[in-house]
This record gives sequence, C-alpha cells and structure tokens, in this order.
Amino acid sequence: MATSILSIGISALNAAQVGLSTTGHNIANASTPGYTRQVVVQGAAQAQNFGYGYVGQGTQINTIKRIYSELLNNQVISGQSLSSATSNYAAQMKQIDNLLSDTTAGLSPVVQDFFASLQGLSANPNDASARQATLSSASSLAARFHSLDGRLDEIRQGVNSQITTSVGLVNAYAKQIGQLNDVIEKATSATGNPPNDLMDQRDLLVSHLSKEIKTSVVRQDGGSYSVFVGNGLPLVVGKQTFSLATQRSPTDGTRLEVAYQTKNKSTILSADSLPGGNIGGMIQFRNNSLDNIQNQLGRIATVMAQTFNEQHQQAQDASGSAGGLFFTTPLAVVNASGNNTGNAAVLADITDAKALTTSDYRLQYDGANYTITRLDNGTAQSFASLPQSLDGLTFKVGSGAMASGDDYLIQPTANGASTFSLALSDITKIAVGSPVLSSAPATSNTGAGTITAPVLDSTYTANPLTSAVTLTYDGTGVSLSGFPAAAPITVKVGSTSTTYPAGSTVPYTAGASISFSGLTVQLSGVPNDTDQFTISPNAINGAGDNRNALLLTALQTANTMNSGTTSYSGVYGQLVSTVGNKMYELQVNDAAEKTLLTQAIAAQQSESGVNLDEEATNLLRYQQAYQAAGKMMQIASQLFDVLLNLKQ
Amino acid sequence: MRISTNTIFESGTSRLGDLQSDLMKLQQQLSTGRRILSPSDDPVAAARALEITQAQSVNTQFANNRQTVKSQLSITESTLSNISDLLTSVQSTLVSAGNGTYSDTQRGFLAAELRGNLDELVGLANTSDGAGNRLFSGYQTKTAPYAQTATGAQYNGDQGQRMVQISASRQMAVSETGDNIFQANGQDVFKTMTDLINLLQTPVTTPAASAALSAGLATASTGLQSAADAVLTVRAAMGSRLKELDALDVSGQDRDIQYAQALSGYQSLDYTKAISQLSQQQMTLEAAQKSFARVVGLSLFNLI
Repeated sequence: MATSILSIGISALNAAQVGLSTTGHNIANASTPGYTRQVVVQGAAQAQNFGYGYVGQGTQINTIKRIYSELLNNQVISGQSLSSATSNYAAQMKQIDNLLSDTTAGLSPVVQDFFASLQGLSANPNDASARQATLSSASSLAARFHSLDGRLDEIRQGVNSQITTSVGLVNAYAKQIGQLNDVIEKATSATGNPPNDLMDQRDLLVSHLSKEIKTSVVRQDGGSYSVFVGNGLPLVVGKQTFSLATQRSPTDGTRLEVAYQTKNKSTILSADSLPGGNIGGMIQFRNNSLDNIQNQLGRIATVMAQTFNEQHQQAQDASGSAGGLFFTTPLAVVNASGNNTGNAAVLADITDAKALTTSDYRLQYDGANYTITRLDNGTAQSFASLPQSLDGLTFKVGSGAMASGDDYLIQPTANGASTFSLALSDITKIAVGSPVLSSAPATSNTGAGTITAPVLDSTYTANPLTSAVTLTYDGTGVSLSGFPAAAPITVKVGSTSTTYPAGSTVPYTAGASISFSGLTVQLSGVPNDTDQFTISPNAINGAGDNRNALLLTALQTANTMNSGTTSYSGVYGQLVSTVGNKMYELQVNDAAEKTLLTQAIAAQQSESGVNLDEEATNLLRYQQAYQAAGKMMQIASQLFDVLLNLKQ
Repeated sequence: MRISTNTIFESGTSRLGDLQSDLMKLQQQLSTGRRILSPSDDPVAAARALEITQAQSVNTQFANNRQTVKSQLSITESTLSNISDLLTSVQSTLVSAGNGTYSDTQRGFLAAELRGNLDELVGLANTSDGAGNRLFSGYQTKTAPYAQTATGAQYNGDQGQRMVQISASRQMAVSETGDNIFQANGQDVFKTMTDLINLLQTPVTTPAASAALSAGLATASTGLQSAADAVLTVRAAMGSRLKELDALDVSGQDRDIQYAQALSGYQSLDYTKAISQLSQQQMTLEAAQKSFARVVGLSLFNLI
C-alpha cells in the first residue's frame, strides 16, 4: 500500500514538474513570433481493482498540446496577403503622390516659367536676353521632364528589385516549409506526439509567405501542409517544393515578370493570377498606376513638342529662314517580342498628337490578319493589311515581313518625357516672326480700306508664297482682282463661306475673311477705286515682328490635348488629381485591411497567445501541486516509519 | 475574452504610433501653413490649386506685358507730342511767309528755318526707344524708317503693327507705322515741307511768280493741316489705349486678389481649428501613454 502511495506521489510530483516546465516554456516564449501557448493534458492513471473497488494509481501526462485554431490562422494568413498588397501599393504610390504636385519640383512651375519667358519674348522680339531666357527656360522644362521621368524609372527599377527579393523569399520559405513538413511527419509518426514548436515554426513561415504572395494551406493526413500560392499554384506538396522565378518580359526588357517553374519550363504569370502579398501589390501598382502615370507624363511632353513645333515651323527666324524644330519630337517605342520569328521592323508614327491616348497597344499577326489591341480597355480591331491609323498613330511595317504568331508591344508615350529635349541652341533660330506681310500703302491708297495681318494655317509652310500678291479694288464692280492663278479663294462673310475658282475676281464685302494659299486676311472699310492691298513674302524679317511669338504663347491655354478638349496644364491637373485620388483610395483601403488584419490577429492571439497573468496562476497552481505531492510522500514515509517502529 | 500579453503590447504600441503620426501631420500642416501636404489629402483641391496657380501666373504675365506696352506707348506719345509742337511752329512760319511785305531774302531766312524744322521732323520720325528699336518703322525696328531725299523722304519701314497680349482676349498695338502718320491720306508731310522750302527759295519777280507763291502757300497750308490732323488722330488713339490699359490693370489686380483668395481657400490651413485639434490630440496621446503604462504595470508577477 505504502509503495503505491509513494508511486502516486511521484506521479503527482512529475506531473507538477512537467506543468511547471510547460508554464516556464510559455513564459519564456511569450513574445516569440509565431509561438502558440502549450498546455499539459493530464489524465488519471489506470486504477487497480482490489476486489473491494478500484484504487487510483495517481496521475499521468497524456500529451502536451498547443492551443491552435486552423480557422483563425487561415483568417490571419488571408488578411496578411490582402493587407501587405495594399500597403505595398500605397507605399509605392506615396513616392509619386508628392513628386508631381510639388510647388517647386512638379511640372507646373517650369511650364509657367517657359510661357512667361515666351511672353517676355513676344514683348521684346529682338532682345537677345529675352531670346536667351526663352531657350534657358525651355531647357529647364526639358530637364524637369527628364527628372520626373527619371524618378518614375527609379521607382520602376525599385519594383523590379523588390519583385526579385520577394520571389527569392517565396522560394526560401517554400524550401523551409518542405523540410519542416518532412521533419514534422517523421517526428509525429515516431512518437505519436505532435512536435509543437516545429509546427509553430512552420505556421510562422506560412504567415511570412502570405506577406509576399496570396497563400492557401491544405492540411494533409499525417500532418504535412500543402501550400498553394496565387490562384492555386502548388508551391509545397509534402516535402516536394516548386519555385517561382523572375523573367524579363519578352516585349519589354525593362520589366521583370514573375514566372512559375515546373520541370523544364517556366511560364510567365499574368497579373490576374498573382493577387495579394507584396508581389501582388507591386504588380498591381506597376500595371494600374506606374505605367499610366509615365504614359500620361510622356503624352504631355509629346503633344507639347509636336504642337509647339508645328507653330514654330510656320514662322520665320531672325535671319528670315523658315522656323525649324524647337523641341525634338518624341517617338513611339515599338518592342518586338523575343519569340517573334518574322523579321518585320514595325513602326508607329505619331501623326496626330492631339488624338493620342495614354494607352499602350499590342499588334499581333495571325498569318492573315493584323490585330491591334488597345491595352487599357482591351478593344481589339482586326485589319487585313497595314498601315492603319488609330488614335493619332499610324501603324506600319518599315521593312521585312511578319510571321504568323508575331507579337509587338507599342508604347506611344512611354518615352515621351525622357526623350523630350530642346532642338535649338542658337538664339537667332527662335522663329517669332511671320513669313507673310500685308500692306495697304497709305501713300498711294486714297480710300479708307484696311487689311489685317495674314493668319496662316498648317498648309502654308508646304506651299509658301513666292512673290507678292497685289489685290486691286474696283469701285464700279465693287470687287477685288489680282489673286494668284493657282489657288482657289474662299470668302467668308459672317458664317457663310463661298469658294471661287483660282484667279477669279471676287466681290468685295467689308469685314469679310478672304483665304487662299493657306493664309487668311480680313479687309474692311471703304476703299477707293484702284486702291491696292499687298500680301507679300516677308523677305527681310523685321526685328520687331512678334506675330508668331503671340501664337506660341497662346498654346499655354489652348486646348491641344484629349482631341482638343484640354490644355497641357489641364491634363497635368488631371494627372495630379488621378494620383491623389488613387492614393486616397489606397490609404482608406490600407487602413481597412490593417484593421481587419489586426482583428484577425487579436482573435488568433486570444486563442493561442500567452497571457502572463494566466501563466503566473499556473505557476502557483503547479507549485502548490508540487508541494502537496511532496507532503504526500512525506506522509507515506512517516507511515512506513510507523511500521518500522512497531517492534521497538 | 482572453487577451494575450502580446496583444496588449502590440495594440498599445500601434495605437500610440497612430496618434503620434496624426500629431506629426498636424504639426507639419501648422509649420507650413498648408492644409494640403500631398494631393491625396484633397485630390480635387490639389488639381484646382494647380489650375489657379497657372491662371495667376498668366495674369501676372499680362500685367508685366501691360507695363511694357505702357512704357512703349508713353515714348511714342511724347514723340508725337513733339511732332505736333513742331508742326504747329511750321504752320506759324507758313503764316508769316504769306506776309506780302517780305522780301526774297526774308523768305530765304524762313526757308532756312523750315529746313531746320524738316531735319528735326525726320529725326523725330526716326526716334528709337531705350533698346534702340525705331518707333515708326513697323516690324523693321532695326531700320531707320525715313531717309531724306531731294523731294521729301523715303519710307523704309513696313506696315506691320506690333501687338502684345495684354489680357486673355485682347492684343494691343504697341507701335504705329510711319506711313500711317506722316504719309496718311495721300499727303506726305516731308514732301509738303520740301516743296514749301523750295517755294520760299524761289525769287518772286513777276506777278505770275507771286501767284504761284500764294497758290503754293495755300497747298502747303492744307497739307500741313492734314498732317497735323493725322498726328492728332494717332495721339487720340494712343490716349484711349492708355486709358484701356489702366482699366485692365484694375481688373487684373482684382483678378489677382480673387485668385489668391481662391488658392488660399483650397490650400491654406485654418489655424484656429488646427490648433484646437493639436491640443485635443496631445491630450489623447498623453491619456493613451498614461493608460498604457498603467495597464502593462498590472502584472500578477508583481504580487507573488
């Protein structure tokens, strides 16, 4: 009997010791990441039947288990993916948020400076310092475009390197989870008891993994995990692991894509199949925001260069030569896929900058038809032949031929801001004068007829006047004669236009607009018979001729973009507000996702986390159990002493 | 609900962190005086502010342009005023030339005086502004508009009128061409004066010559009156332009104030509100810090 008491005492002592160690372990790991609290599962030992009844034999430890809820853990994992995707997107976007609207570093101040210097030039057209100021402000405009675009490029590089880091982490976690799967399975089958701390470690790795990419876990029989990432791609199955890799986009070498590797093949994953996590956030940021912002900025540069050049080329510089390019015109970028088998050199010419969109385009050839897809909204059009014009672009094959399956990515405005530069360096080449003069000689005319300065349209430059045109007024017929023999004449009175054949005598109406050879003049007042009006090439460029400078300054507020509905600054304002709105939306979403995640973690911690007060109670409980068991053994020993002392 | 010790610490620190970042933002707003620190704070206002800034800068530029126009017009106007005075003096010389008691010699003196006047007139017609640009040669501002000839003067300018943008919808002429002033309505003032000088230098010996003198003087008188009128017409036009500039200056200044107000409405911080928010947040933060310290201080381990 006494031995039984002693052994009961020992079992109680042992149980209390295990209880104390487990409590100690919990206290020690209270702040260990991923740790779940452990509890001792204690049961009564098998009782012994003595005929008069079952006598208890003390206690035994069944197992030590961790308090863990699969449901709560899965909630944390999915919350983690969503939250880190949004917060990563927001962090990337934050870099751009301030960049564009900064009152000193944004685009607006330099555009304003540039046009202010042009205004100065229009007031003092032959002043060398005004000309120099125009060139200097134009080159700081170009420099600002470059620095903004350069910053966006840096951010793009940052995305590439972060994707590389994240993919590396995903692969490392996959390997470790695979190894742990193996160890945990072996340990469980060898002892029949769960290796709690190893399981915590594996769950921690899964949680880390979910920060990088959307992760889902399926628990297999035998305790190993199957881990799937993205839209269900197997990453870990038992101890076998697969891996992700980064790969350059075949149509754009500057862009790293995520690829999934199976035996000998790696497949680039589309953005849709990579939701969640840092990787998902990064790819969403690049596809939905960064590309678009860079294109929008590039479009402003492209349209600005082209519209400014068109006006500049209609004019005459200080030495009387026709105006040249003021800015170099940015070109559309065409990237042939690395997998193409044909040898066609595809070109996309910007034929109408005003109609440009901010989208990129994909050109595909299936052996019979060319399909052009506008990538921002997915509209596709098929053509049997090239060239074709679309959204201000003309798609054509420069040389060679396409093979079936060939694929091209066309980015009309992506490089606009980085290639925007000043084409002039000589201040005398700034064309502020107009190539045509008009006059109604006060010395010989006796009537009160006046003629306005000629206004040119875009067709004038191709066919300029070669000699003076003298219009003579006929008082009897009330008409004008002397128009050039080759150009038809259009007379507009009010809103009615009438076209006369070239060389006609045209009826005179005071205030009518008369157009021919790409120029328009307005004649008003009452001339006398034989009064003459001359429209002549501007042979000696007048130093004070500022007519084109006025037209150039008007471009600041002219609606030149979005098919003639918005000005440069209007489009830039839209860009700033798009970025601001997106950032605001992301901040709201980020806060919401963070709250959800915090709640999921709190729920999971409420179940599995260590509470030190609780452990303190347990310490006291096991301490008392230990003391009680000791006392019991002392009593057993005293009982034994009673027997020994019987003979004395 | 069971709460893990980790949760107590983590929620405490994250709440303190949030409060601190709110406070930091408020402090930034207070130190810059701006309500919008980045477009995301108010995307619509940020875009509007950009537009208004541009409109304001354009408005300022127009004001500068008006200043340029004013100074140019003032130079032209004072030159024209000199020309008017000169023509008046020529007209009075002309009147005295009609005095029948004058001898050929006396008329010769008048001719010499008129010769001087003609030189002066050509000089005035060739006046340049401070930057060396000729006032009356149209676009050809580097070319002297008039060169004297035996019969008067030759116009070497063109008919270009230099315009400057002085408001969003208005371009104003800053220059007048010489032929519009000195050769208007088919009357060339240089020729008139040269003819007059030649006339006064011709000796009057016969009754026919005497009649020719009277006729010539009458023609000259008409010509000079017409020239003086042409100058006055141009001066009147300039005067009304200067008046228009003053009116535009006033409306431009009004607009500038409106832009500044609108901009401040979008961007500026309401200090009263911000400062009261600051003290409120400060209080919240202090309360959070104190309560956090209390809560984490409560541990059973302190008692066993």
